[in-house]
Amino acid sequence: MESATHMLRTGRRGALFEFNMALQDLRNSGRRLGLAWSLALHDVMSRYRGSILGPFWITLSMGFMVLGIAFLYATLFNVSVQEYLPMVALGIVFFGVISGMITEGCDTFINAAGMLSQTSLPMFTFVWRTVLRNLINLAHHLVIVVAVLLVFGIWRHTNLFAALAGLFFLVANASWISMLVAIAAARFRDVPQVITSVMQFAAFVTPVFWPADRLTGPKRIVLDVNPIHHMLEAVRAPLLGKAVEPATYLLLAVIAVLGWLATFSLFSMTRRRIVHYL
Amino acid sequence: MTETPPTRPKLADRPGPSTSAAQVGISVRDLTLRFPVYGVDAKSLKKRLAAITVGGRLGSHAGVTEVTALSSVNLELRAGDRLGLVGHNGSGKTTLLRALSGAYEPDEGQVEVQGRIAALLNLGLGIDPSATGYDNIRLRGRVAGLNSREIEERMDEIAEFSGLGPFLAMPVKTYSAGMQARLAFGAATAVDADVLLMDEWISVGDADFQQLAHKRLLGLVERAGILVIASHDHDLLRLYCNKVMRLQAGVASPIADIADLDAVLAA
Repeated sequence: MESATHMLRTGRRGALFEFNMALQDLRNSGRRLGLAWSLALHDVMSRYRGSILGPFWITLSMGFMVLGIAFLYATLFNVSVQEYLPMVALGIVFFGVISGMITEGCDTFINAAGMLSQTSLPMFTFVWRTVLRNLINLAHHLVIVVAVLLVFGIWRHTNLFAALAGLFFLVANASWISMLVAIAAARFRDVPQVITSVMQFAAFVTPVFWPADRLTGPKRIVLDVNPIHHMLEAVRAPLLGKAVEPATYLLLAVIAVLGWLATFSLFSMTRRRIVHYL
Repeated sequence: MTETPPTRPKLADRPGPSTSAAQVGISVRDLTLRFPVYGVDAKSLKKRLAAITVGGRLGSHAGVTEVTALSSVNLELRAGDRLGLVGHNGSGKTTLLRALSGAYEPDEGQVEVQGRIAALLNLGLGIDPSATGYDNIRLRGRVAGLNSREIEERMDEIAEFSGLGPFLAMPVKTYSAGMQARLAFGAATAVDADVLLMDEWISVGDADFQQLAHKRLLGLVERAGILVIASHDHDLLRLYCNKVMRLQAGVASPIADIADLDAVLAA
């Protein structure tokens, strides 16, 4: 076992120094990714301790929601279930991941208050914990995705590689938002409420439940400026055998880079203070 | 803890540390820590607390109310040192321990610690009440930097130390405070820490546990570790420590020999 560890904390200031410390935090969290994974796994296990279906309870309720909405709305929108159900099913599953990472981001640091106030664990570890926890949940919900793709015979057209690339873009963006929200929620306790409302609103303005092609002409601006729509489409379209517009990839890449730069800068500035917010 | 069985060997009588782990050390230079107080009306807080001697000094910086919890604390500890921290509530003992654990960034000065740190400041740390004792040991072990194989290797030893037997398979929420202390102490000291930071609560357990904890702490000191313990229990400090430091509103006294505890307290 490694025995000699070294910990140095100084009162040095300066943007460059703070930036380097933040970078060091990130590097340390990378070295201890196994810890973030264990914590995430523990979260999932403990949330469903004693229940028979475990995380599959959410999968089950999502499944029923998909069926209910699909048959009702297909009639309302006057589209075939064949076409509508797969879209809604994948929409609910992947919007759930985005929404989970962002809303649970509010609790990232607040729930870690005990550990952050008496250990030198990297703060990024807890960000990854939230992200990984949602990916573990997603792994359960993939049952729905696979079932839908098989039942409707869409799997023949599925572009798995593009879908995985899309998932990468989704996580790259949802994770910076998650961290940004985590810092903001630690400082201002109104943030969780705001985020919950925003995500609820997002569920309706993003084409989760309604076909995106219903919007035509200048009204499509609602979709174009909605980053969550692009995140969702990057994963959903290739799974349904549709092409993803190059503009979507470009936009997601730009938002990811800018978002991470902004979030990381904010983290550099607030890192030493976050533990006092809690 | 007021009655100490005479059979217990005093830590201070033990031979000095081996030189092999001599690099273990704590160095604190001019450490100043200020807490910004968020979400409180600064004026009313100031009015309420300014006249009270308990707690740190209150001040305002850039419009945010701040508590100066520690000011210009200096501390040098080498392998084998066992430092006792004394002082009123709010004098900065726990804050200093937290700074030593690396959780708090100094506002001025620096904190340097060589060696693996185990902080036992809060009994409930990383304890999930609805998880079993075993799961909590695993969780704590992971947080302390062990991989799952290392934890399983130590599991029997921790289980035996805790003396909780079949209770380890039960949720921790069914434990008493003393049982929780056994679990937490067992898990935290199983990681071969070089630097052990403790805040008071060791006195929670029963006589059996005290004896076990005592042995563990002896083992740590024999491995040339460092112990920093904050307590209001002077007998406990005399038992475990060879040095003492007094904190008063965030200002530290010079480090004295434990034999001079009364003089330090009177100062």
